[in-house]
Amino acid sequence: MSAVQGSLPSAASASTGRAPWLRPALLAGLVVAVAGIFLPALFTNTYYLGMLINGMVLGVAAVGIGFLMYQCGLVMFGVAAFIGLPAYLVGIGSAQFGLGLGAAVLFALAGSTLFAALVGLLVVRARPLPFTMLTLALAQMLKQVTMLQSMRPLTGGDDGLTMTFNGSFLGLTQAELGKAASFWPLAWLSLCAVVLVVWLVSSSRFGQVLRATQANEERMRFSGFNTYWPRVAAFTLASLLVSVSGVLTALNSAFASPELLDFATGGHALVAMLVGGAANVLGPLLGALLYTWGQSAFGATGYLELLTGVAVVFMICAFPKGAMGFVLQLFGLLRGRGRK
Amino acid sequence: MLRVENLTVAYGSVQALSDVTLEVSSRGVLHGIIGPNGAGKSTLMDAITGRRKPTQGRVLVDGEDITARPVEWRRRHKGMSRSFQRTSIFPGLTVREQLELVASQLGEPGLDEIVDAFELRPSLDLPADSIAYGDQRRVDIALAMIGKPSLMLLDEPAAGLSTTETISLFEHLVALVRHRGVTALVVEHDVDAVFRFCDEVSALDLGRLLVTGTPAAVRSDARVITAYLGTAA
Repeated sequence: MSAVQGSLPSAASASTGRAPWLRPALLAGLVVAVAGIFLPALFTNTYYLGMLINGMVLGVAAVGIGFLMYQCGLVMFGVAAFIGLPAYLVGIGSAQFGLGLGAAVLFALAGSTLFAALVGLLVVRARPLPFTMLTLALAQMLKQVTMLQSMRPLTGGDDGLTMTFNGSFLGLTQAELGKAASFWPLAWLSLCAVVLVVWLVSSSRFGQVLRATQANEERMRFSGFNTYWPRVAAFTLASLLVSVSGVLTALNSAFASPELLDFATGGHALVAMLVGGAANVLGPLLGALLYTWGQSAFGATGYLELLTGVAVVFMICAFPKGAMGFVLQLFGLLRGRGRK
Repeated sequence: MLRVENLTVAYGSVQALSDVTLEVSSRGVLHGIIGPNGAGKSTLMDAITGRRKPTQGRVLVDGEDITARPVEWRRRHKGMSRSFQRTSIFPGLTVREQLELVASQLGEPGLDEIVDAFELRPSLDLPADSIAYGDQRRVDIALAMIGKPSLMLLDEPAAGLSTTETISLFEHLVALVRHRGVTALVVEHDVDAVFRFCDEVSALDLGRLLVTGTPAAVRSDARVITAYLGTAA
């Protein structure tokens, strides 16, 4: 009989096989997270730091939807809903309810997450394709709502919502949040936190339940698992992570507009995730950095859409598992040669 | 322990199962279900396990009507497990991962015993979709065996297996059924294996129950011979 109920003793057990590299990996992650805070010191030109911040904020959203895609096989086309909604909620919380900035951020994250949970109850029942379209419809509906004349006092209508924050957030005033160098630590540490959460959840039993459900939902049900609530939870968590991106956007720009709720906004995150690959938690982040760099480089030529399209088609055809998949494959090959 | 009353399942205007009443009263028995293609065997399994909602009739386990209960409830609360005609495992997970995942959900303390009984130890750390088909069938049945089920429904467990593998599989099944006190309903086309290993047999044809009885009685039943076995049986 096994020592632990439901587990089989083995040196290579799934539950214990991770132990040898878990501690070094966590330590390396901590070092990178701390060192990253001081990255702005390397930049003499704030343009590039701003670009990196854009990549990080996009990366937060891409990591969130990558989590949902890899764990549940669900592609969220309506990413923009959970970027735009929390951004607006930061402004509404500050202006309408007079909340301090910290409270407004919590209000935005809580409101967006609650909304995601309610939406999740409905949409995760759908098959993958209808799910995709339902989330897209959701974002488009929200966009229309912000543009309604009756909502103008709250959202600013077509003109968008210019925000004036009350107080500071983690010691950063509105002016400091608008500057790349002082905003950087917040963006960087938020990204680190999101990556850590996704890694922990993916490595947990909950992550395994999600992947097994994706692989064979019927067998899961016949094994006594409820397959509905874990998907609702995964959708809600992914939306919360994407919402962090929306909050960062609001804090940095102090502005929210209907464009934040447009498909194009979510499209950037989706393309970034595809370019980077979703099988590894860092894939969507790498994709976001490549995508942001590409947008800047291609934009300078005057052929932004054309070159972006060509680059995305090339990346998806050349690296079906994404840029991170290619990097890991390369790493595996080099390690294999090293052993020989 | 299992009673099916007047079970009818219709697919549109076609009745796949018509007014079937069946009772399996003892624990630790292997109950075979035979019949030609389209007899309603798999539909009966689906209706009993909750995979398909019956048009009319009831399914009772230990006297409790579970007809409206979902699949996962039946597994957790009534110990009703199922294997499928087509192997149903978790492709992306190793054999170990999937056995441990299901065992942790259902509180199975004797996973080692199941692994050894189905000779799965050599393939424990291999992705389940990379092992031989016969091994995948055994993983499928092992998954159904986890959590001390009281009632197992096995849909063509020997499909795609050689005669030797079929005999080996049924020997394992009989041993586990006897040892663990599980009642197993087995739909199987290999009638020789059914008559050799099962304690009771039911024969279906065109959605109707022809007869239930001992293997010898069913084998010599004129209706079963006409509908399924033929005179050579």
